[in-house]
Amino acid sequence: MLWYKAWLETRSRFLTCLVTLTIFSSVFVHHALHISCLNTLPCSEKISSKFTPEFHRLLFINQQYVVIIWILAVVLLGMGGIVCEKALGTSSLTLALPISRARLMRVRVATGVFQAIALGVVPWVTVFVISSRAGMPISITQVASYVLLLIGGGLVYFAMAILISSLVSGEYTAPALAFGVVLLAAMLFDNWLRRFNVWRLVTGDLSIDRSTFLLSKHLPWLGILASLFFAVLMVLASIRAIQRREF
Amino acid sequence: MSLFSKLAPTTGQPLYLQLMQQIRHAAETGALRDGDQLPSIRTLAEELVVSPNTIAKAYSELEHEGRLELRQGSGAFICVKRRTRSLADQVQASRRRLRELIEQLREDGLLDEEIRRAFEAELVYPGEMVRKR
Amino acid sequence: MTNEVVILTHALSKSYGRGEAVRGLNLSVGRNCITAFLGRNGAGKSTTIKMLLGMIRPTAGSGTVLGKRITDAEANRQMRQRVAYVAEDKPLYGYMTVEQTINFARSFYSDWRIDIEKKLLLDFELPANRKVKSLSKGMRTKLALLLAFARHPELLILDEPSEGLDPVGIEYLLRTLVSCSAEGVSVFFSSHQIAEVERVADHICILEKGCLLMDASVDQVRQSYRRIDMVFPAPPPEHEFRILGVETIKTAGRQMSIFASRNAEAVVERAQDLSAVSVEVAPVSLRDVFLETVREN
Repeated sequence: MLWYKAWLETRSRFLTCLVTLTIFSSVFVHHALHISCLNTLPCSEKISSKFTPEFHRLLFINQQYVVIIWILAVVLLGMGGIVCEKALGTSSLTLALPISRARLMRVRVATGVFQAIALGVVPWVTVFVISSRAGMPISITQVASYVLLLIGGGLVYFAMAILISSLVSGEYTAPALAFGVVLLAAMLFDNWLRRFNVWRLVTGDLSIDRSTFLLSKHLPWLGILASLFFAVLMVLASIRAIQRREF
Repeated sequence: MSLFSKLAPTTGQPLYLQLMQQIRHAAETGALRDGDQLPSIRTLAEELVVSPNTIAKAYSELEHEGRLELRQGSGAFICVKRRTRSLADQVQASRRRLRELIEQLREDGLLDEEIRRAFEAELVYPGEMVRKR
Repeated sequence: MTNEVVILTHALSKSYGRGEAVRGLNLSVGRNCITAFLGRNGAGKSTTIKMLLGMIRPTAGSGTVLGKRITDAEANRQMRQRVAYVAEDKPLYGYMTVEQTINFARSFYSDWRIDIEKKLLLDFELPANRKVKSLSKGMRTKLALLLAFARHPELLILDEPSEGLDPVGIEYLLRTLVSCSAEGVSVFFSSHQIAEVERVADHICILEKGCLLMDASVDQVRQSYRRIDMVFPAPPPEHEFRILGVETIKTAGRQMSIFASRNAEAVVERAQDLSAVSVEVAPVSLRDVFLETVREN
């Protein structure tokens, strides 16, 4: 029942973020539709075809906001774990279970990954449904691409949060540090590591066609794989850190 | 079944010896008769709140003395030898003598606590208590 | 009672920076016994237990529990399948209800006893749907103990189990411990409540400043430890009484009080040889044995 425990521990964080993201996306796309369809919904065929690029530009902007909220959400979801339990006083119970520390970590990470995927998929599916019903259909490939970029490129932030929560004890120190790293990373990537800017990867900036505002069919697979690779490395490092730690 | 009173952990005597005395006493006074079954180790341990090993040791020692019979699967049963039946009368008589002695010691000015300690010391270390006036 | 040993350590040590929490511990806990681990606060009892369960790594030495090496993570994990442990702070997940907590614990162990779980739930009067964080301290203690008692492990390790319990609860706890022992569970519990230890323990180990000062059967301690109070016609020479078994000698004028771990008869003989006016031999309670042993050290 480790999954159940992981769910109970992250449930409120997850649901709050899910609702926030979904509402945000719904409101945003609704607003975008109003702008694109000149305030008459559902869009007529004539208007929708004329203003499609404008709508797609707004979707591109939506992704940027979604990325910010999503990253903050997954960093929040990455908090907790056995080191946090030590601060709360329950680590003696969890560690006495006939479960290896690696398994504890794997369940926590897997739960977080599933939640991160849900947090990426649900808002975009909402956008898809709302815009389709409003007469401004968007291609499912576009939606899938945005989701893939978000999750494939962004899980590295989740992994970073996992690593920090495995090294730093303290209920509030760990999240403060994690958010600090997000900020620091943003500045670093912007100023010195422009080539490896994961932010531009995740928001679709690297694959967007500036005339149609459609994501190109050729996604930056190398970037996504590299990002996932670092994510896996950080998770492995977290497992190692937990195995070596004393409680 | 409260045939047995709580064992006293602070008297310097191992608990299993105290229990053995209680069982012997019960057999001698006739409270337990030949063939009566004693409680299981677990039941008695829970009742007296002592380790089951204490009960097991007491039963085992009494079996060595021939006062108990441990039957595999059934439990512990009292064996009262013929000669010990007459002991019941002796025990009654000795109680009377003890009563008289205690009254006498009280008259001599000893407090009950002092009398008890003197008894315990004699029982545990016979002959070691020396009082020279 | 077999001669098997459930916990065995060899020179187990743990140091933190400047201090040593546990020093060269050679612990041997027998199967089918109730063994009490006595010691003051900070003596190293909890540290030792945590080392046995793989939560802390020893600095030196080794140990096995149920035959499995404590420093081997996988062996330790397998051993934990057969060991029930309740930590000193009775940890529970505040966000789970009583029922969720029990379901959670039950899912990990094949030795779970549903009948005992139901009985304890009733006896402890625990509300199934209340969240743990809104339970009183006493109820939390009882729930934490339930998670261990509703199983049939080979070894039960309890760290200060009676803390947080009222006298009725303590009586129930001792009765349950005894009941477990009768079913073949080896019990190892740490405590500084001497009264409860005295009643149920077969064996005691006294830990002080990380060192094992005593490892003896309670019966043996009861039979051997004596306090001998003597009065002499003139102030007696202490050196005459430094014989085997004498632990402490206190002299005040013509009175002498000796605390002996064994060989009390020899002390009495020596006293008589020196023309003692009065010699009184009295048994020593476990509390006094503990206090003297620790003080001496």
